[in-house]
Amino acid sequence: MDIWFLVSNTIVLACIYGTLAIGISITWSSLGLLNLSYGFIFAFAGYGAWLFAQHVSPFGPAVLVAGILSGALGGVIICALGFIPIHDKPNFTIRGLIATLAINLIGTQFLLWWFGPRSKSLPEIFGDWSVSLSGAVFSADKVGNVVTSILMLTVVLRWMQSSRRGLEIRAMMMNPHAASIVGIGVRRTSFYVMGITGGLAGLAAVLLSQTYYISPFGGLMPMIKGVSIALCGGLGSVRGAVIAAVLLGLNEALTGVSIGGRYVLITQFTVIIAILLVRPRGIAGLLDRAREA
Amino acid sequence: MSRDSDIKWRNPLFVWGGKSDVEELPTIPFRSHQEVWERTRQSRAKLNPVGRLRYYHKWAGHGGRMWNRLRYWPTRRRVLRLRGEYNPKTLRAEKTIVDKRPIWWVLGLLALAIGPLFTPGDLQNTLLTAGATFGIYSAISLCWMLIMGTAGIFSLASYAVVGTAAFATALLAVKFALPWWLLPPIGALVGLVFGGIIALPATRLDGFYYALLTLGLNELCRVYFVTSKEFGAANGGLYGATTYVPEDWSQLGQLLLAYYACFGLMLLALLLYRFVNGRRLGRILRMAPEKREAFAEATGVNFRQARVWVFVISSIGLGFIGGFYTANFGGVAFSIFNFDTVLLGLAMLVIGGIGRAEGAVVGTLIVVFFDQVMNTWGPARFMIIGLIMLLVVLYLRNGLFGIKAQFRAWRDKKKSERRSTRAEKGGEMLPEEATETDDKSIIYQRRYDKMTRDHLKTLVTAEIIEEHRQTLNGQHSEALERLLVYFRTRPQEEKYAIMAVERFAGYRIVALSGHRGVAPRVVEDKIYSTPDDACHGVFMRRIQDLLES
Repeated sequence: MDIWFLVSNTIVLACIYGTLAIGISITWSSLGLLNLSYGFIFAFAGYGAWLFAQHVSPFGPAVLVAGILSGALGGVIICALGFIPIHDKPNFTIRGLIATLAINLIGTQFLLWWFGPRSKSLPEIFGDWSVSLSGAVFSADKVGNVVTSILMLTVVLRWMQSSRRGLEIRAMMMNPHAASIVGIGVRRTSFYVMGITGGLAGLAAVLLSQTYYISPFGGLMPMIKGVSIALCGGLGSVRGAVIAAVLLGLNEALTGVSIGGRYVLITQFTVIIAILLVRPRGIAGLLDRAREA
Repeated sequence: MSRDSDIKWRNPLFVWGGKSDVEELPTIPFRSHQEVWERTRQSRAKLNPVGRLRYYHKWAGHGGRMWNRLRYWPTRRRVLRLRGEYNPKTLRAEKTIVDKRPIWWVLGLLALAIGPLFTPGDLQNTLLTAGATFGIYSAISLCWMLIMGTAGIFSLASYAVVGTAAFATALLAVKFALPWWLLPPIGALVGLVFGGIIALPATRLDGFYYALLTLGLNELCRVYFVTSKEFGAANGGLYGATTYVPEDWSQLGQLLLAYYACFGLMLLALLLYRFVNGRRLGRILRMAPEKREAFAEATGVNFRQARVWVFVISSIGLGFIGGFYTANFGGVAFSIFNFDTVLLGLAMLVIGGIGRAEGAVVGTLIVVFFDQVMNTWGPARFMIIGLIMLLVVLYLRNGLFGIKAQFRAWRDKKKSERRSTRAEKGGEMLPEEATETDDKSIIYQRRYDKMTRDHLKTLVTAEIIEEHRQTLNGQHSEALERLLVYFRTRPQEEKYAIMAVERFAGYRIVALSGHRGVAPRVVEDKIYSTPDDACHGVFMRRIQDLLES
C-alpha cells in the first residue's frame, strides 16, 4: 500500500516534470536558448488559470486550457523580450541565459507585488472520484495528471512529427544555419517554439497546483527538477528526457522508502553527477555534435 | 546632351574643296579638363572639429627622471603605466599616462574609506549597514568573478559555498563557543572541501551543463539546511555565534567597526583577485579563451588544471567570506540560499561587466544601493535591478565597463561605412586592392584614366555624334578629336574592328581578342552596307562603352 502510494506519486511527478524537461530540451535544441525563466512562466500560467477560475468559470477543462494558453502567452513574452533582440548578437548563449534569469527576477517580483505573497489554490479539475485496482487506490487527480500530461506530450510530439511547422522546428534543431538558408525564419519559428514550450509549462503548472499551490516563487522547484531531468537526459533529446524522468522518479521513490524524504535531492544530484561524469552530455546526448551558434 | 547650336565649328580644310567636306557644323563650347582634375583633388570628407583622435593629456617631462619609474614591492610593476616621449614638433620631453585605471581605483577606494565621515545624520544607520553589506557582497562578487571571468566556469553555486561555510561555522561557534577569529579560517577549510567536491564535475562538463548543475546544487543546499533540525529550521536561520563587534561599544562605534572590517575584507578580496588574475594563473587562462582551448592545449598550456586551481582558490576565498559573514552578523539566515540572492549576485557581476574587478565592485555598489538603501520600495526595487540587468544584457556586450570599447567599435564601424559610401569605384582601385598590388604605378595610371574618362564623358553630345557621322575623315572639332584620340589609344584587347563579310556590300563589327592566333569575336549581328556606316557604328559602340564605364 505504502509502496503503491509512493510509486504512483513518483509516476505523477515524473510525468509533470518530464513535461517541463521536454519543453526546456526543445527550446535549447531549436533556439540555442537556455530558458531559465520557466519558474516565471510556471507561476504566470498558474495565476492566469486562477484568474480564469475566479472571474470566468471554475469548470475544470476550461481552467486547464486557460492555464495552457497563459503559459503560451508567457513563453511568447519571454521570446519577444529575451530572444528576439539578442539572438544574432555576439556571445548569445550566455547573454540569453542571463536575460532569461533577469526576466525571471522581474516577473516573479511583479507577481509578488501584484498578487501578494499568499498562495492561491485552483478548483478540482478532474473531480473527486477514485479507482481501486488490486489494493491500490488511484485518486482522480493522479489519473488525470498522468493521462493529461501524456496526452498533451503525445499531441505535441505528433504535431512536431507531422506538420509543416513541426518540420520547421525540427529543421532548426538539426542545423539552424542551414534552416535559415532554406527560408525558415528564425524569429517566426522561435515564437512557435516558445509558445509551445510555454504551453507545456502552463499545463505542468495547472497539474501541479492540484498537489501544491500557486505562489510567485512556486515555479522554482519544478524548474530545477525539469532542468535536472533535461540535463541528465541530454539537452535536446526527447527520448533521453523520458528515460531520465523515469530514472530520477525511481530514485526519488527508492530514496523516500529506504533513507527518508529529506535526502531525495542529495541522492538525486549524486545520481546526476555520476551520470554526467560518465556521459558529459547526458544519457542520450552526443558529445561531439553539440549545438553551436 | 543639350543642343546649344549657336556655336559653330568651321572646317579649315573646306576651302580646298574636298568632296564630302562641310563648311560649318554645330559643336559644343570648350570644356576644360582642369575642372575634373580639381574636383578629384578636393576632399569631400566632412571634417568634425574634434573627436577623431584619442586625446591624452601630455604631462611635462622630468628630464633625466623620465626613464626612472617607481616600482612597488614585491613585484617589479610600475605604479602607473607611463609613456615617455619627445614631442616631434617642439622636441620637448613629455609624459603620457597610458592607463589611468590605478588613479580611479585609488580615488574610489579613498572615497569609500572616508565616506562614513560625510554621511548625513538621519541616514547614518542605513548607509553604514549598507556599506558593510557592500563590503561583504563585493568580496563575494570578486571571488565569483574569478570563477566566471578568469576561469570561465559558469558556476551559480558561489552563494551555496558562502552559505555552507557560514552555516558550518555558525554551528561550530554555537556548539563549541569558538572565538570569532577562528571562524574565517574554518570557513576557508569548509570552502576548500566544498569547492573541491564541486570542482570535480567542472573538469568534465562545459558551460551550461555546469551552470544548470550548480543551479540545482544551490537548491539542494537550501532544502538541506532549511529542513535540518540542527541548523535551526524553526527560526529562519542560525544565530548566536560570537562576533568581533564588542557589546559595550556605542551603536555608531559598532557600525563603524563593521563598516571598516568589511571594507578590509573587500581589500583582501581585491588583493586575491589581483594575485590570481594578474599573475601566472590568469596569464595561462587568458591564453585559453572560450573556443580556443584546443590551440592553447596544443601549445602546451594546461588550462584545465589552471581552471580547477582558480576554482578551488576562489572557493577557499568564498569559504573565508562565509566564516567572516558569521563573525560579522553573529549568524546567518536561510535567505542566502534563495534563488533571488543568486540572481542578485549574478546581476552584480553582469551589470559591471564579466571579467573585471572594477565591474564586480561597481555592479555590487549599484545592486546593494537599490537593495539596501531603497528598501522602502518593496518588490519594486528587485524589479528595477532586474530591469537594469536585462537592459545591460540586451544592449551592452560586456557590462557598464565595456561601454567604452563597444562605443569605439561602433564608431569605427560607422566611420568605415561612411568611408565606403564616399569611395568612387569607376575603375579606380579600392583601398584593399591598392595595398595588395605590387606595382603602385598602376594605381595612379588608373586614377589618371578615370579622370580622363570623366572629362571625356562631358564631351559626348548629340552635336559631336552628328559631326562624326557627317565628317568621318579629315579634321574634326576639338571635342571630337579628343574623343577619337582616346579611343585610338586603347589597348588591343577588346578593341573594335570592321570585318568585311562581302566586299563593298556587307561589313560587320568584331572585337579583337588581343592574342595572336585567337580569332576576333563577333559583337553584333547587324550588317552595314558601307565601311563608313560600320565605322560610325564602331564609334557609337565606343561611346556606349565610355558612358557605361
